[in-house]
Amino acid sequence: MTKKLFPALSVLVLGGLVAACGTPGGAATSGGAGGADAAGSTIKVALIPPSSGALAQFGSDAADAWQFAADEANAAGGVAGHKIELIKMDTDATAATTLRAAREAVTQKGAKFIGAVMTSTEHGALDAQLAGLGALEFNGLGKDDALTGKDCKANAFRVVQSTSMDMNAVAEALAKLPGKKWAIQAVDYSTGHTSAKVFKEAAAKAGKQVVLEQYAPLNTTEFGSYITKLQQSDADALFAVEYGADGVAFVNQAAQFKLNEKFNTILGFNMVSEPLFKALGDKVVGYYNNLGYDVSSDNPLNQKFVTDWAAKHGGSKPYYVVADNYLAAQTLFEGIKKANSGDPIKVRDALNGLSFDSIVGKVTMRGADHQLIRSSYLGQVVKDPNGIGGLGWKIVHEADGSVTAPAPDPACKLS
Amino acid sequence: MNFAQVLNGIALGSLLMILSSGLAMIYGLRGVTNFAHGALYMAGAYVAYSVSTHINFWAALIAAPVVLAVLGAVLELVFFRRMQHRNHIEVGLVTFGAAMVIERVIVLIWGERTLSVDAPSGLGGTTSILGTDYPTYRLLIIGIALALAIGLVQWIRRSDVGLHIRAASHDVETSGILGINVDRVSLIVVCLGAALAGLSGALAAPYVSVYPAMGISILITVLIVVVIGGAGSIGGAMVAGMALGIIQTLGSVWIPSLSVLVPYVALVVVLLWRPTGLAGKRV
Amino acid sequence: MNAPTKTTGPTAPTSDTPVVSPGARRLGLSRGLALRGVVIAAVVLAAGMAVPYIVLDRFYISMLFDGLVLALLALSVGFLARHLGLISLGHTAFYGGAAYLVGISVTQWGWSPLMAALTGLVGGTVLALVMALLVVRSSGMGFLMLTLALGQALYQLSIQRVAIPYTGAFDGLQISFDADATFLGLSVAQMMNGALFWPVVWTALVLSALGLWLVGRSRFGTVLEGIRENEERMRFSGFNTYWPRVLAFTISGAVASVGGVLFALNAAYVSPDVLSFLKAGDALIAAIVGGLGVLLGPILGALLYIVAQSQFNQSGNLYLYTGLALILVLMFLPGGILGSISSIRKRLARRSAKENSP
Repeated sequence: MTKKLFPALSVLVLGGLVAACGTPGGAATSGGAGGADAAGSTIKVALIPPSSGALAQFGSDAADAWQFAADEANAAGGVAGHKIELIKMDTDATAATTLRAAREAVTQKGAKFIGAVMTSTEHGALDAQLAGLGALEFNGLGKDDALTGKDCKANAFRVVQSTSMDMNAVAEALAKLPGKKWAIQAVDYSTGHTSAKVFKEAAAKAGKQVVLEQYAPLNTTEFGSYITKLQQSDADALFAVEYGADGVAFVNQAAQFKLNEKFNTILGFNMVSEPLFKALGDKVVGYYNNLGYDVSSDNPLNQKFVTDWAAKHGGSKPYYVVADNYLAAQTLFEGIKKANSGDPIKVRDALNGLSFDSIVGKVTMRGADHQLIRSSYLGQVVKDPNGIGGLGWKIVHEADGSVTAPAPDPACKLS
Repeated sequence: MNFAQVLNGIALGSLLMILSSGLAMIYGLRGVTNFAHGALYMAGAYVAYSVSTHINFWAALIAAPVVLAVLGAVLELVFFRRMQHRNHIEVGLVTFGAAMVIERVIVLIWGERTLSVDAPSGLGGTTSILGTDYPTYRLLIIGIALALAIGLVQWIRRSDVGLHIRAASHDVETSGILGINVDRVSLIVVCLGAALAGLSGALAAPYVSVYPAMGISILITVLIVVVIGGAGSIGGAMVAGMALGIIQTLGSVWIPSLSVLVPYVALVVVLLWRPTGLAGKRV
Repeated sequence: MNAPTKTTGPTAPTSDTPVVSPGARRLGLSRGLALRGVVIAAVVLAAGMAVPYIVLDRFYISMLFDGLVLALLALSVGFLARHLGLISLGHTAFYGGAAYLVGISVTQWGWSPLMAALTGLVGGTVLALVMALLVVRSSGMGFLMLTLALGQALYQLSIQRVAIPYTGAFDGLQISFDADATFLGLSVAQMMNGALFWPVVWTALVLSALGLWLVGRSRFGTVLEGIRENEERMRFSGFNTYWPRVLAFTISGAVASVGGVLFALNAAYVSPDVLSFLKAGDALIAAIVGGLGVLLGPILGALLYIVAQSQFNQSGNLYLYTGLALILVLMFLPGGILGSISSIRKRLARRSAKENSP
């Protein structure tokens, strides 16, 4: 027993000696922490997009957009005199991995701001840690209402529209769409139920009728039983809220069942988007869907953005993920300019209530819940020989942000 | 209940039937739960995607099983044969590791996006059957599955190789003593099982679309089917697969949110009632 | 010192029991052995407390912290594998279930962190008991499938829409503690700091490992191993084989719950990942790579796993390497890392004994 005890005791003594030297609790962090405020210093932004899984394409496009924004700013001499440096991290879109990447970026590499995080789940986990990390995050991709509602945090800012904002825009446009009797096919999840609820209210106001409402669990890939029920209903229009692989499976299977012949109008919510155009093909021509970004908007900042982006990317134009993340970068830069500093606390205070001109027009960062107020659109898929997969968008309706954004959630206590 | 919904259930059941018969064969002979079966199914779907984009779908239906049979041979020669005297669970865990490797390699080759495969032209529409219009492609799946089921069962019951397979599944040592080349039979069974997985993946491609998580999502279902059907019984797995497909579809018609629990509840109920599965130890 | 006042051993034949004190005889622990174990544990406990003072970097200490939490889960899986030969893929149900219970107690019922932690622990253990009653009669692949199915059923339940008010489904559950809440003297901010919460988790890990070790070395542990070797024969020898297995399963489930509770307190955010198939696989792989046959194997495996996860996750290839590692270990290092080291040591000892003998 003494043989095992002696080394253990010596470890104990050594440990005690070392304890006298340091204090735990994150007192010291390596990697250029201080100096973010000094004039001319570099401001580091960590990007944590998913590099694997179904969202990897969105992730790399988001990181691309940030890079584009940083290059543009640096070429013009930096933001308020500071150069922007991007630190790219990897994640598989699970909360634990993203958190670890964020910690590494902030404590090891000196990042003060975080962007390109994808899912609402990751945002939830990350936002809870921001105060402890002393960093700000800019959400250009996570639409869940709770992120600026009951789960809002002082260090988190959302630049993309929330689900409610998008849905309210669709509701506004509903009267314009053909179809009197509607069926709802939604994912059995909060987004699905929230959008269905808003849809029903809007339908009642527009004098339309909802004859069938059904929900499929998330990660359903076999929609046969749902489609058969849709076939057998007497609806003449469909509101469909299925996204990702579910959406692709639904659209493909609906085509096999010849559902398009039954419905005058198929309105998707978060279902049809540019990255899926190639997988969906001509089946979706004529589909409507909510749109967060109008690439053909004649706002001069937008036109410059689209032209420069196309020049750097072989002629292809930006889509909403790119635009939203460029906008996130723009928001950060505006905050830095107003605060004239790269210090997160000062930037945070500067952003509350800040209005500025952006690629999507004049926008305001609402101080009560850190949601950027901007317009939402309804678009229809049309054939476009220059577009991705031969498809493009035609804007059918534009809804102003001040109308579509619901009042700040009273459950939001920025802390 | 209307006929179209029943057909939906049969279509899903057909897919499960083909997939689970392959797994049951491997389980019956080698005693190994092949956790890589979902990855093999996924490989079949991705191979079918590539072949049908460059040539056509029918070529894919032939190419996918062939490629997967080769992959199955690799599994047999590198893993199963070497580890045949080890604990079965350990071999199962090795296949678990193999599944992770295969799935990641597939994504590295084909990318992370969801891919679509169109049904072959002529089969993209609906056919009127017994008064309902039903997608022709799904009827094809049902047809192929039934033909395969009958053919497989007959082959195992009637042919010499089938006899050897049944014998080796029943008692490996005695079969070896009686002169059956167990290694050769194993190779045939594993290749065939993998080919069946590849075939079901190819058939599934126009049906449920091709995406990186498809291996994992079907793995648990097919494992449950095989365990319910009975340790290694091919007929049992087929019946269980068809039954689960129908029950799950009808469940999603009536109570969608709870229908996801159907496979798990079924497994617990069956295992507690009859630990060796429905068909017991018969092949 | 006292051996932990654990359970009653099973009824046993009295003919060949050694003559020792009644208490020790019932537990099957010799005084010397238990004393040695407790002292070593005390030393390790004290030594480990120094770690936050040595590893000052916030990132690395959080990483080690995550490793400890995974180690608790891996330890619980390893215990069942070592003493009963049963591989469980369902222990995430207790780990994740306890974590969610902590979250639900705080957000739904407004309880203090301490009450929430106790709720999580008790709830997770009860869940383990319920699952044990269903699954322990099976073995091998049937056991694996049942635990997998039950664990995944709980996962599916947690992501259903009906569960959203309680679990938040895919959005996860933010646990907002009261600003002035304390847990064992630590404030909320301190709980969420890996370095400051370290003593609690380290103590939990060392005590759990000690407890499992003592259980394993007691008569109860021997009965379990007897059941592992040949359950029928044990039954014919007069031992009840059902309740010991239930008890062992519940104990390991309790250890997993401890991990879940500490995870929830530290992260202040619970998402369905804690109940997923991937997490169950991670814990099992960590336990296997570290070595299932050795008590400390799963702990080593968990630490290695966490380090690998942060170092090798470039371009999402983590699972590729994990899969390869699992294959290599299972094929060439069947006892895991610690198992292989101990078998190499035994072989060297045997060789030197042979050389030394006449």
